[in-house]
Amino acid sequence: MPDLLEPADPRGRDRALNAPSLQPEPALAPFVVVDQADEPPLLLFDHVTKWYGPVIGVNQITLELRPGITGLVGSNGAGKSTLMRLATGQLRPDLGSVQVLGHDAWQFEAKRHVGYSPDVDNFYEDMSGRQFVETMARLCGFSRLEARRRTEETLQLVGMAQQASRRLRGYSKGMRQRIKVAQALVHDPEVLILDEPLSGIDPVGRMEFLALFRLLAERGKCLLVSSHELEELEKLTDHVAVMAEARIAAVGTLAQIRDLLDDHPLSILIGSDHPRQMAGALLAMPDVLGVDLGEQDSIVVRARNPRRFFPELAGLVLEENYDVHRLETLDDSAHAILGYLLGGRRVEKRG
Amino acid sequence: MPGASLLHYRPWRGRFRGVTLSVLPVARISLWMMFRRKLFWALYALGLLMFFMFFFGQYLLAWAETQTAEETVRIGVVRAEPDKLVHLLREVLKLNGTGYTYRNFFWFQGYMVMIVLAMAGSILVGNDFHFGSLPFYLSKPVGRWHYLLGKCLAVAVFINLMTTVPALILFVQYGLLDSWSYFVESGRLFLGILGYGLLLTVCLSLMLVAAATWLRRTVPMIMTWTTLFLFFPILAKTLVDGFHYDRHWRLLDLWNDAYLLGNACLGMAQDTIRPVEQPAVYEAGLLLGALSLLCLIYLNLRIRAVEIVR
Repeated sequence: MPDLLEPADPRGRDRALNAPSLQPEPALAPFVVVDQADEPPLLLFDHVTKWYGPVIGVNQITLELRPGITGLVGSNGAGKSTLMRLATGQLRPDLGSVQVLGHDAWQFEAKRHVGYSPDVDNFYEDMSGRQFVETMARLCGFSRLEARRRTEETLQLVGMAQQASRRLRGYSKGMRQRIKVAQALVHDPEVLILDEPLSGIDPVGRMEFLALFRLLAERGKCLLVSSHELEELEKLTDHVAVMAEARIAAVGTLAQIRDLLDDHPLSILIGSDHPRQMAGALLAMPDVLGVDLGEQDSIVVRARNPRRFFPELAGLVLEENYDVHRLETLDDSAHAILGYLLGGRRVEKRG
Repeated sequence: MPGASLLHYRPWRGRFRGVTLSVLPVARISLWMMFRRKLFWALYALGLLMFFMFFFGQYLLAWAETQTAEETVRIGVVRAEPDKLVHLLREVLKLNGTGYTYRNFFWFQGYMVMIVLAMAGSILVGNDFHFGSLPFYLSKPVGRWHYLLGKCLAVAVFINLMTTVPALILFVQYGLLDSWSYFVESGRLFLGILGYGLLLTVCLSLMLVAAATWLRRTVPMIMTWTTLFLFFPILAKTLVDGFHYDRHWRLLDLWNDAYLLGNACLGMAQDTIRPVEQPAVYEAGLLLGALSLLCLIYLNLRIRAVEIVR
């Protein structure tokens, strides 16, 4: 896929995004009902470029985010943090614009609609969690009473109400994550930018956080979640934006992106009592590029265009009355897709 | 999470406070961080010693002036002649409610102010940069300038708590001990105190925030501040008074520059300042103005570059 990761073309358009095969389909995005697709996006990056001196942070990025959860993945230095800082108005784009609900992300009006949980967790260590969240609420412009009310509700929400009186100095990594998420939620923003929110959280906490994020998405919030924990991200959403070399390499559901990787046909393991006969029949199908005989009556099929292949496979099985006792796709996980998308680049995987 | 079902968010229908008011919580956090340190209170108490000396000196003067009929008066175990005591307090120590009193007070307070500010700088500002806490501020509806204004406001509170506020208390005390007409006749002094305080507030807060933004850590901050406000004054004094260099070298002493301007604010003649060889008031003003402007420009560049400073 050389055209996915090449530098921006001279006309200033992101080829990856312009390539029709990689355009996201908003109507298929999670939590987006079809009629919402016509509404203005909650978060819009419009041909955004950001330079850090001679280094380019993000390059001609165009991205529309609507209610729902979008995972942001990519290797270190791909531009994820820059993208998030642009969305939270901490950075100003050199070219293009970032808009939150129609407001320039750099403006205060936009910041009222954005919650940000950064990857750093350096707070004022002498403060208690409660004081910290309340302080952040006051910074949002709430009165003291309202700030307190919201602080208590948010602490309850992230499961920190009991420990919130302790000083931040004594908090574990997971507790810090919860407090960070609390301060991001305290003003009930429409757009939530979460940088590695699952890092350092125990398995039970992760499940709780995932449930919380889903709940927020169902309530119409737009969540942009950066994570190296691909398995967790996969549980959370299948709508991802893949970043590589300061650009968006692909946006869409994992299935959509997988479908478009023509250079990497999907590998499907089929267990059958008649593997050789089935292999012969499969080879006659136009989307099948090859079939390998596997172990224990199984075959591995390499097929293009899964949307067309699977119905044809179903038809074949029914027509020939093959006994299929196992059907498994081998490389459609987020990790495999990212591996293909990023080519030789290392896909970060922690935990 | 127990909370997932306990989410009681409701749409916010109230009015947000203006963005400009976000300066206040920023300043409040900074002050909170300082006020909870015992070292700060110890230094502040030391700083107040000078105030108490002036305060009780003025009180003693008022009392001694009522005792002039006596040959001697007893103060604790010390016996003194009232006339001489009045002379000492009024003419030598200048605790006479004139511009001298407040000018001297500001001058002497300078030492403690500098020590407190040296310590405060890294706590107030440097830590945010050093530990990368800035995203928490900047992702809220707080502009970069509001952030800096908030920090400057916190510094201003420190400065004024140690200089302007005590000076105003001395002013009020003298008026109450002397006569009500003092308040009317010395209106210029009142404004002069406010002007001196404002001058210190603007210059020092900008310099401190700029220095703390640049240096970040406590030790370099203290070293730089000590150089500016201890080493440079000694150097200036040595050059001008010791080696008889041009009087303009005294401009190196920034506290002295502020003193010259403060002196003018209080309506005092410059030839009342010792040593006499001083740069002109406008020169001191230009220097402090230029320094403040430089700090402002630096801060402007710095906050634009905050994004890449990690």
